[in-house]
Amino acid sequence: MSNEVRLEVQDVSKTFGITKAVQHVSEKFYKGEIHALIGENGSGKSTLTNMLTGIYTKDSGKFILDGVEVNAKNQVDANNHGIAIIVQELGTLDGLTVADNIFLGHEDLFVKHGIKNTGAMNRKANELLKQYGFDRIKAADYVDDYNFEDRKLVEIVKSTYFKPKVLVVDETTTALSQEGREELYKVMNQVRDYGGTVIFISHDLPEVLEKSDRITILRDGVYIGCVKSSDVTENDLKRLMVGREVTGDYYRADYGEPVSKEVTLSVKNVTVPGKIMDVSFDLHKGEILGFGGLSESGMHEVGKAIFGASFDRTGTVTLADGTQINDIPTAIRHSVAYTSKDRDNESVVMNQSIGDNIVLPSLDDLGIGPLKIQSDKKLKAFAEKYAKELSVKMVDTNQFVSELSGGNKQKVVLARWVGKDSDIVVLDSPTRGIDIKVKQDIYQLMNEMRKSGKSIIMISEELMELIGMCDRIIIMKDGKISGELERSRDLSENDLIASMV
Amino acid sequence: MGSSAKTAAGPATGRKKISGAAKGYLILFLLVFAAWAVFKIITPHNFGSPANLLSYFQSGLLAATGAIGFYFVMVMGMFDFSIGANIVLSAIVGCVFANRFGMGYAGLIVGALVTGTIVGFCNGFFYTKLRIPSMIVTTGLALIYESLANYVAGGNEQTLPSNMRWFGSMAGSIVLAAIAFVVAYVLLKYTKLGTYTYAIGSNEYVAKNMGINCDKYKLIAFMVSGAFFGAEAVLSISYGSSMVAVTGMSSMSRNFVPTMGCFFGLAFKKYGIPLQAIIIGEFFVNIIFYGFIALGAPTAIQDVITGLALLVIITLTTKARKGEIVK
Repeated sequence: MSNEVRLEVQDVSKTFGITKAVQHVSEKFYKGEIHALIGENGSGKSTLTNMLTGIYTKDSGKFILDGVEVNAKNQVDANNHGIAIIVQELGTLDGLTVADNIFLGHEDLFVKHGIKNTGAMNRKANELLKQYGFDRIKAADYVDDYNFEDRKLVEIVKSTYFKPKVLVVDETTTALSQEGREELYKVMNQVRDYGGTVIFISHDLPEVLEKSDRITILRDGVYIGCVKSSDVTENDLKRLMVGREVTGDYYRADYGEPVSKEVTLSVKNVTVPGKIMDVSFDLHKGEILGFGGLSESGMHEVGKAIFGASFDRTGTVTLADGTQINDIPTAIRHSVAYTSKDRDNESVVMNQSIGDNIVLPSLDDLGIGPLKIQSDKKLKAFAEKYAKELSVKMVDTNQFVSELSGGNKQKVVLARWVGKDSDIVVLDSPTRGIDIKVKQDIYQLMNEMRKSGKSIIMISEELMELIGMCDRIIIMKDGKISGELERSRDLSENDLIASMV
Repeated sequence: MGSSAKTAAGPATGRKKISGAAKGYLILFLLVFAAWAVFKIITPHNFGSPANLLSYFQSGLLAATGAIGFYFVMVMGMFDFSIGANIVLSAIVGCVFANRFGMGYAGLIVGALVTGTIVGFCNGFFYTKLRIPSMIVTTGLALIYESLANYVAGGNEQTLPSNMRWFGSMAGSIVLAAIAFVVAYVLLKYTKLGTYTYAIGSNEYVAKNMGINCDKYKLIAFMVSGAFFGAEAVLSISYGSSMVAVTGMSSMSRNFVPTMGCFFGLAFKKYGIPLQAIIIGEFFVNIIFYGFIALGAPTAIQDVITGLALLVIITLTTKARKGEIVK
């Protein structure tokens, strides 16, 4: 890391309606450093970098890059100033080729007299892909032909081929498998090595400590401080993020508690073509059963299969009373709940209120009379009760879910199923992209549910939370069960990894 | 890259892409053959001879010429209910320029193309400025275009003199349609407009973040579409020799065929042959139309069968992924 300032953030602020997303934040970023930006959900990290990269406009303050003020109008304008971003969601566009995606907004490099030289563009893109070691991705192919992971690699090329002075990596690693992460780390190191600056946003604190040189902490849109990674521990970071000591239990503290013999759900020989094969297991009353594995191992499909949401499923999913779960309405009627990994698209209804989202599966229970007439008062009281129970940070239950941070959206999803009083809860990646404080809340809620006799299936790519929370962990590999581990103090991540790869 | 390398579908190689296009052509030719064979078996004597097929193809070219321009609008996720009104107005203006003002072919072509482009500009302008759905904007404007056409025509049927109907028969119609196809192909494949058309259709928000002026390109797409309907107007009035300035949304009956061709384009986009699919698709539609005529089926039955054929073909060709939400 050099002592020369690459980027200076001066007194930058941004508000969304009544929310003060970023308040008078100032910080210096040096040449040749990986500078992490951490904070709870809604702390303003992404808002700050989105203003830098032209996705949002700032209300006040300045971004000074190499001594010159920049006001990027959009991402391409930011690129032209030497600033690039890799976003958390998918940043490539269907219907375009790999090369079109890499050079989107920069086509003029290949346009002469209004005609685009597609051949030259493809050649250049193939050259770049080869340089990055991604030469199995072909420039002329439609990007739709590649999976999420490969499309992220295309995005990495798109964001860095022009050697940006500042590269923002916004919560990208959680979406990637370990191999994908390694590729991204390699690129981040390259940017640092040629004197660029990487602004690295991540909720994974061990990753932040390992990969970054310095760490800036934001809380509720306010700058808290900047520390050297080598001077702090994970607990120091948690304290700085939350604003107090993270006290009480984080994961479950109990070990050796016997699990009930009573089977609440029995899965026999379940196969979903191309996804999972011959999966069988029993879930017991009051048990937290974990599913771990690589992202493509099939574990996410297990959750869908149990909930009756898979297509062409064979095999049986049977409840204690003999009911077979073959479709979603049957699952919900028989007290089975499911939260998807893809929270925004498959769990919450973004353009509805918090209240509407919470009452959604309980409308039949709340309806009056045979026609199930709905009472506004009753619905409101129900939504408020469970939103409060889950401590959803909100103005009121009329607030739209789209205005909430990721962690609070997840709380709304959980409030929905707690309100429904489901006995079997399938949670797919319940803490994905969620900060430490909300994570702790979710873990404690799961523990409470377990104690009250609810059965939980927890599917997660975070091995530590599986080890910390589950009575039993099933490991999936290539669509099949490849191992099973019992809860133990001695269980380590390596024990799980051994069955995963 | 270990696991990430094993892509579910597998990245398309150059070889696979060729086979993708070949597959697309194969499906299209099978559809055409099946439609031809069905009617040929039922009514062998007055349907489907080589000369007949050439005539169906020529008739299909009319709508295909407009549809390949309309494709730009539809890919972006917009719609146009003023297609028929545009064709009527452009044809009448072209005819008036050629005939009443004595400008000949130049008047016919320039009049129709410029009118079509202006109509497209109005559609795009009001759509981007008023920020209301394109279906509503274009429906409202269609009424205005119809009235305007009626005013220009002075309430009379406009007839193109017989010495100005070169575009109505084989060589002329092929030449104009071929020019339109080449222009659309180049625009789509070798200009920024093509790339941005797909980018806006895929995710307008991301496209905006890439610095694409989405409103500008939507406006351009409507203008391109309008110009191509202008070309269709030239072919239509040359082929049919006259045009009546209908009112009361009657022009909407002209919307169906180009729209149907455009659906073929969208359905075969995944095979990389959208424009080719529009042309062959329109040929297919015309085989069905003329098949029914050969059968002497009542118009109502023709409409029912054609409507069903549309649903079946689009369902077969645009099979949604399992779980995909279709709106």
